[in-house]
Amino acid sequence: MADRGIENLASSRLWAATRFPYLASGVFGAQVIAEPDSGTVSVDQNWRLRADPELTAAWTPAQLGSVLIHHVCHLLRTHGERAQVAGVGDDEARTWVRAADAEINDDLVPAGLDLPGRPVLPQDLGADDGLLAEQYFEGIRGDRRPPAAGAEGGAWGDSRVRSGQSESGETAGPWLDCGSGADGMPRPGERPGGLAGWQADLLRRQVAQDVIAHAKQAGTVPAGLLRWAEEILHPKVDWRRLLAAELRRAVAQVAGAVDYSYRRPSRRSAVAGDVVLPALRRPVPEVAVVCDTSGSMSEDLLAMVLAEVEGLLRALGLARQVRVLACDTAVAPAQRVTSARQVQLIGGGGTDMGAGLSAAVALRPRPAVTVVLTDGYTPWPPQAPKGTRVVVGLLGAGAPDAPPWARAVRVEPD
Amino acid sequence: MSVPPPGLNGAHGSNPTVEALGVAVAARVPVLLWGAPGTGKTSAIRAMAQAMGLPCETVIASIREPSDFAGLPIVVGDQVRFAPPAWARRLAEAGHGLLFLDELSTAPPAVQAALLRVVLERAVGDLTLPDEVAVVAAANPPEQAADGWDLSAPLANRLCHLDWRTDPRAVADGLAGGWAAPVVPALPAGWQTTEILSRGLVAAFLHVRPALACAPPSDAASAGRGWPSPRTWEMAARLMAAADAAGFGDRGDETRSALVRGAVGDGAGVEFLAWLIEMDLPDPEEVLADPASFRLPERGDRAYAALAAVAAAVAADPTPERWTAGWQVLGLAAEAAPDVAAVAARVLARCRPEGAALPAQIKLFAPVLRDAGLLQA
Repeated sequence: MADRGIENLASSRLWAATRFPYLASGVFGAQVIAEPDSGTVSVDQNWRLRADPELTAAWTPAQLGSVLIHHVCHLLRTHGERAQVAGVGDDEARTWVRAADAEINDDLVPAGLDLPGRPVLPQDLGADDGLLAEQYFEGIRGDRRPPAAGAEGGAWGDSRVRSGQSESGETAGPWLDCGSGADGMPRPGERPGGLAGWQADLLRRQVAQDVIAHAKQAGTVPAGLLRWAEEILHPKVDWRRLLAAELRRAVAQVAGAVDYSYRRPSRRSAVAGDVVLPALRRPVPEVAVVCDTSGSMSEDLLAMVLAEVEGLLRALGLARQVRVLACDTAVAPAQRVTSARQVQLIGGGGTDMGAGLSAAVALRPRPAVTVVLTDGYTPWPPQAPKGTRVVVGLLGAGAPDAPPWARAVRVEPD
Repeated sequence: MSVPPPGLNGAHGSNPTVEALGVAVAARVPVLLWGAPGTGKTSAIRAMAQAMGLPCETVIASIREPSDFAGLPIVVGDQVRFAPPAWARRLAEAGHGLLFLDELSTAPPAVQAALLRVVLERAVGDLTLPDEVAVVAAANPPEQAADGWDLSAPLANRLCHLDWRTDPRAVADGLAGGWAAPVVPALPAGWQTTEILSRGLVAAFLHVRPALACAPPSDAASAGRGWPSPRTWEMAARLMAAADAAGFGDRGDETRSALVRGAVGDGAGVEFLAWLIEMDLPDPEEVLADPASFRLPERGDRAYAALAAVAAAVAADPTPERWTAGWQVLGLAAEAAPDVAAVAARVLARCRPEGAALPAQIKLFAPVLRDAGLLQA
């Protein structure tokens, strides 16, 4: 009995690969090892599934296939790594796994996953469908109450199938461990080997490509999985990071343009004899922020981006050099604001950022960097304004492009 | 040596970043470690120099002036010489060693510009450091250092970027039981001869994806990391050869992947690595021409990719001969991987050309299809 392989493994995988063709690479990529007396089916972060043959023998190929799919989804969605990032402690691991289960099951169970026992669904955690494991986890974290009957029990539900109780069984079975692939806690006896991290990454990309290709060929793919695939293939870059980099770069280029100055001798001139060495001089650039205040702007988004810009400039040591201009078709006088909340959206319908830019250039001292925050529905001057670098923040999804002479960052509400 | 290096090998085995660092140092490719402050980058590099028996000169880039790297001008007669600073002289006299440029991302742009020649050509003022000197740099990501600058694209393009991640368990182990010494790979003499092979692979890849030969980053945030250019592809080829020569076995793959992605950037690097794997798969047309030659790849997902490619090739042009050849291939695979072969068999069964006789292999799949509930009676 001990060295018996897993019955029905081939037909289970075939069931899984046929029912979920877009996950086939993942299903076949996971190595399945028989581990008698483990009492569960668990997965580690290197794509190895350990299954108790005695437990799985009671399942139909569809049930075992569903468990395989479920575990592959733990790996595809990197629940192990994400648990570490989310700071899940040893005592919270089970709570995390329930949240992770809900993330997988919420769209795969409707798509035909046939898990033995009752799967954990978002309703069990008092949450809506379509969220991420982190969001489910936040909702139930610290919730020390015993979970509702039937919801306890790990990946695919409880173990009532195994213990022979019917659906009416109120007592939850023993915990079925999903393994380190679901919660990132290494288990004793896990050996090195399996898929290395970079191989797992490539396999993940392959599955993501399969998912997209399947969806394009008029196949149906659960929406959550499609979102996951898009995110893997086209990771969304945080606009805050891009905006910060563009601002730093604009400021650095202005500061770098007049790096050396002979106005002040270098403090190292003493060793250079008759040679006059230039000193490193870093002018402090003035910054102007032009805010589009027309009626089409979202006030919340503008306040958020403005706060971000201010924080960045403060980090660069430029907080005092900032002037803010409110602009629709006409420009309000420049105001030195100390907080993003002080900017008021007073404008009406029309917008002309060209007027805002000319007003910014006319300021004295002239700003070396001008940040324009707009929804993009505005005429632009054909050429870059002289003497200032322009960074455009395009607010809102689907904003039209900024002119080619400006550095643009798209800001989409998250 | 104050802070111990938590990124190093704890009881949990080796750390691919450290191995990659070792390979890059051994291959004398300039390397840059990105990581949060206080995670032991500096200590790891110093410990590595000590383990290799190399003199290590630490230069904090952020408190230096451009003339410290470009040389201080001195008038000698009617000429101006650019005198190298003492650390450069010491390295030149030793003939080998490790130049460690710390805090690279907090160096102002002018200093970064002066560093360009030091990093790639090892030239400090009028002095050229010996070839045996390895250049290693460390930096905090700009979002973690308040006064940080993004690395300029030309400087970033001269370095292999490695991400320094700390494993909380390795920290716990290290605090409790002491830090393990870093492993420095020894490259066998003459390892450079294999560089021609990896250059060939890179060249073949760039024929397929010419757009990736040179793709400067478009936004400022990714300009500070590795990006594909002729220089970085050459660097990647060199690093691949070195990683192969250092021979980490299976783990070496992880190290090699980190090095390639560090040199040419994540996007291009992943595409190249995926292409390398694809190259290992048998060509479906060759398999159909000679089914007996088919060898099933060991890994399940690779086997699936190979068989699916064969089935798709048949479905694209289903002549009776190709159809029969396809079944022969599946017959060979049926014993080792009945489920994988059965998925391909379903594709073949749907594209049966007129006049083709039912192959004998079709019976092999009946049991598994029936068990999976896919066979209508």
